[in-house]
Amino acid sequence: MKKLALFVILVLIFGTISPSLVNHAYAQNDPSILLRIAIQADKQIVNQLDRVYGDQIPNNVQIIYDKGHTAVQSLDESLPDNLKKAKKDFLSAMNAFMQISRIISQSDIKVVNTSDKINRDLSSEIDRLEKYVKTLETISKKYNVNVSNDFIKIHNLIEKTRNQTDDENIRYDKIIDEIKIILNSIKNDIHESASKHRSDFIKRFFDRLLDRIDQQLIQAENAGIDQSQIEKAQGLILEIKELLSKNQIKNVKIVYVELKELMKNIGYSIRIT
Amino acid sequence: MNSLFEPIQLKTSLGDDGILFVRNDRIFDTMVKTPLLVASMIIVAALIPIQSSFSSPRALDLIIYPDGSTHVSTEIDLDPFLNDYELDLFGSTIDNLVVIGDNEFLLTTDVIDNSALIQTFGSSIISVEYDIHDLVSKQGRLWTFSLDSPSDFTLLLPKNSAIVGMTNLPINMEIINDRNQLTLSSGKTEIDYFYSINTSDPITDPKTESNNFLYAIIGGVIIFIIVGSGIIIRNKQKNLKPIQNIQTIQKNNVSDIEMIFKLKPDLREDDKELVKFIFNNGGEALESELRKKFLQPRTTMWRAVKRLEREGVIDIEKKDLQNLVKIRKNMEKEE
Repeated sequence: MKKLALFVILVLIFGTISPSLVNHAYAQNDPSILLRIAIQADKQIVNQLDRVYGDQIPNNVQIIYDKGHTAVQSLDESLPDNLKKAKKDFLSAMNAFMQISRIISQSDIKVVNTSDKINRDLSSEIDRLEKYVKTLETISKKYNVNVSNDFIKIHNLIEKTRNQTDDENIRYDKIIDEIKIILNSIKNDIHESASKHRSDFIKRFFDRLLDRIDQQLIQAENAGIDQSQIEKAQGLILEIKELLSKNQIKNVKIVYVELKELMKNIGYSIRIT
Repeated sequence: MNSLFEPIQLKTSLGDDGILFVRNDRIFDTMVKTPLLVASMIIVAALIPIQSSFSSPRALDLIIYPDGSTHVSTEIDLDPFLNDYELDLFGSTIDNLVVIGDNEFLLTTDVIDNSALIQTFGSSIISVEYDIHDLVSKQGRLWTFSLDSPSDFTLLLPKNSAIVGMTNLPINMEIINDRNQLTLSSGKTEIDYFYSINTSDPITDPKTESNNFLYAIIGGVIIFIIVGSGIIIRNKQKNLKPIQNIQTIQKNNVSDIEMIFKLKPDLREDDKELVKFIFNNGGEALESELRKKFLQPRTTMWRAVKRLEREGVIDIEKKDLQNLVKIRKNMEKEE
């Protein structure tokens, strides 16, 4: 029995520490990835240099490229035995290629941020909307929201836009805005339909929470905390329970904020920690 | 002359009157309650990850679209006693934000600048999806992705993109539908990429190289568990009294796909598609294969697989650090 107990303890200790060991090992399970990325970057940089400069590569760029290319060769030699050096070579190569790509691009055009709507691509915009539509479709089915006609309409609009992306006469921004309006209306419908589930969900949450606060108040009382504070907190709990029974969720939240603050003053933060 | 005190260890038998004393070499049997000790260890082992995981993403997946906009999907473990949670977004230009709580409950969210105030009301896990336009910038033909991530994350790059610079070492790389997916560690990351015709081929799929250290650990744990289980079972069998009433549950052998759907009529349509694929794939498939087949992000597929496990349709096993999903051979009929 003694041996068995010791054995189980050993297994548990090993089981507790092994995840960190496994993660560490996983990070290094295929170092050849580094070489593949570096080789592809090297090829791409050669193409870009050829496109931009032809045979007239500036000296400073050539020096950086040579540094990067040498690091790729060194990376190839370091693998698979010298992982530490391989990592250093990889970062050195990618840093050099990054510098070159930025030098090449500086001569092109000003920086463009994709947060500007004008720079967004129509096909990508449709892909994103389609993903969003699918998510809302799944949620609406869960709550039996009757919006299937709206979804059919959206799918038709998406298909129409996809099939005519090159037609300059079509105002795609208008179609996308139309889709977004329908989606917002669907989202509102889902929120409305889910309100019954929602209030049950919130009530269950507050039931759990208030039970916990009740227990904390008993502890506070035993610890000799000011009785008036405890009574005030108990009063707020009763008020929340009454508001919950009347389904006045907004007011519940307001009173709860007050209770939370009071509990903090008493010295009990309402958290599970 | 005989010594007045005889060491207790030397006594051959303490008899019925010797109950006040214990033998030192039996201390584990009598003083330490082994099940209690084991249970405590299990609780400690289980609590370590929980303590460090509240409010931290358990998964973070990013997909970059060809125009540089990025789809973010993440799952976050939360303290179930919180009524709201402030999530730091990766930027301020956000579209299509959806936050789902426990039981796929759509949660109300207010976005203010770079953060979203989510009314969680006791959800222990929330799933967040949104599109963001702040993570990628473009200069000339060069695209730059930058992120300061709170956790490890996966990044699916657009088709035909070629990486030409990065500041971090990748943890892993996979090819998903001709696109490179990198797994990167937390912290600041910058990746430069071009769109290219010449190097449109994604970086070839990494060959699986064995890692002796990793397999040694896994092998060691498995051997430990098997041997330990064997000893425990053998000891238990010695002490077990015959069980008089064995409760029998009627189980159904699953031989065809229609039988599964008959037993589980309430499965969602998308879940049925998953089950069909796994069934036709010889009854098992890796979760990563399912993601590739159905083009779903890691979080979405994880939720689907967990849902099917809860429904009793599949079992999830670990295989080479991956989730292997298997159709259950015996399935109980849904009430």
